[in-house]
Amino acid sequence: MAGKTIVVTSGKGGVGKTTTVANLGTTLAKKKYNVVLLDTDIGLRNLDVVMGLENRIVYNIVDVIEGKCRKEQAMIRDRKLSNLCMIPAAQTREKNSITEEQMKELCSSLAAEFDYVIIDCPAGIEQGFKNAIAGADTALVVTTPEVSAIRDADRVIGLLEAALVRQISLIINRLNAKMVKKGDMMSTNDIIALLSVPLLGVVPESEEVVVSTNRGVPLVHDRSSKAGAAFRGMAARLNGESIPLDGDSRGFFGRMKRLIWD
Amino acid sequence: MLGILRRIWGDGASGQVARKRMQFVLMHDRIDITPDMMEAVKNDIIKVLSRYMEIDGGSVKVDLEEGKDFMALISNVQVKRVYRHSTSG
Repeated sequence: MAGKTIVVTSGKGGVGKTTTVANLGTTLAKKKYNVVLLDTDIGLRNLDVVMGLENRIVYNIVDVIEGKCRKEQAMIRDRKLSNLCMIPAAQTREKNSITEEQMKELCSSLAAEFDYVIIDCPAGIEQGFKNAIAGADTALVVTTPEVSAIRDADRVIGLLEAALVRQISLIINRLNAKMVKKGDMMSTNDIIALLSVPLLGVVPESEEVVVSTNRGVPLVHDRSSKAGAAFRGMAARLNGESIPLDGDSRGFFGRMKRLIWD
Repeated sequence: MLGILRRIWGDGASGQVARKRMQFVLMHDRIDITPDMMEAVKNDIIKVLSRYMEIDGGSVKVDLEEGKDFMALISNVQVKRVYRHSTSG
């Protein structure tokens, strides 16, 4: 049976697409699934540094598509998880070096071998975006609780619907609970009502994310991290497990989980 | 600092301000009507109504409002005088 192909997109840059790809992919791999991460941000690759795999790159996605190497040669294995690998983007090429048709082909050949193919989409809605979504059956739209990110997310949701991507869910990143409580940030419910897309999860604003990115080790490896717990909850829901949304970081269930694991 | 800003803007919590602004912006983005198009709609409304009544063109406002399950075009027009016989045809 073919695996799931999931594109992580947002419209606006800097909202946490790459961090989301790294953490969801790592969590699913920890659950023993075979996972491949695909960086399609040609010219501005970053998934390699977030995963801490930047020193091992030889071939990239454009080499695979142009037939300069086999796809296995471009796959870089994760340092900790042998069932997790990544195909990096090309750094010195352009977004239109590949076509939507070629991406579709690559995605379906990867889905035949892996349980999860997770695609890191570039910012914007031009050719790079079109390529990234071409082979995906599921889309995760990442936004932050800011007007610019939400507006861009809405635009992207419209384009995904027009492109007939069947499943679309929302990830709210960098929510600051204190600011929401004070009334100075849109709440999760405000954002869901505006975008009318089902919610996959909410990641609290956290300094840990910066630290883990600095080190090139995805946050979900740290069991005490609240943001990491949010990503683990999202990966579980993506995998069809029924984990309650508020069980990620707070509530009785979340507290119990932390008591047991920490 | 936030308190000072709030006093300057003279409005409530900024989260609700953002929510209301986004409701408006997204509605316009989704229906894909440009300000030019809204202006054209307004001018056509003025043109049609002017056949039947004298209106204050400067007072005409055309807005789109979103209800729970619907969207409405709301226009307020100040009528000065209704003609006895329409000027159309």
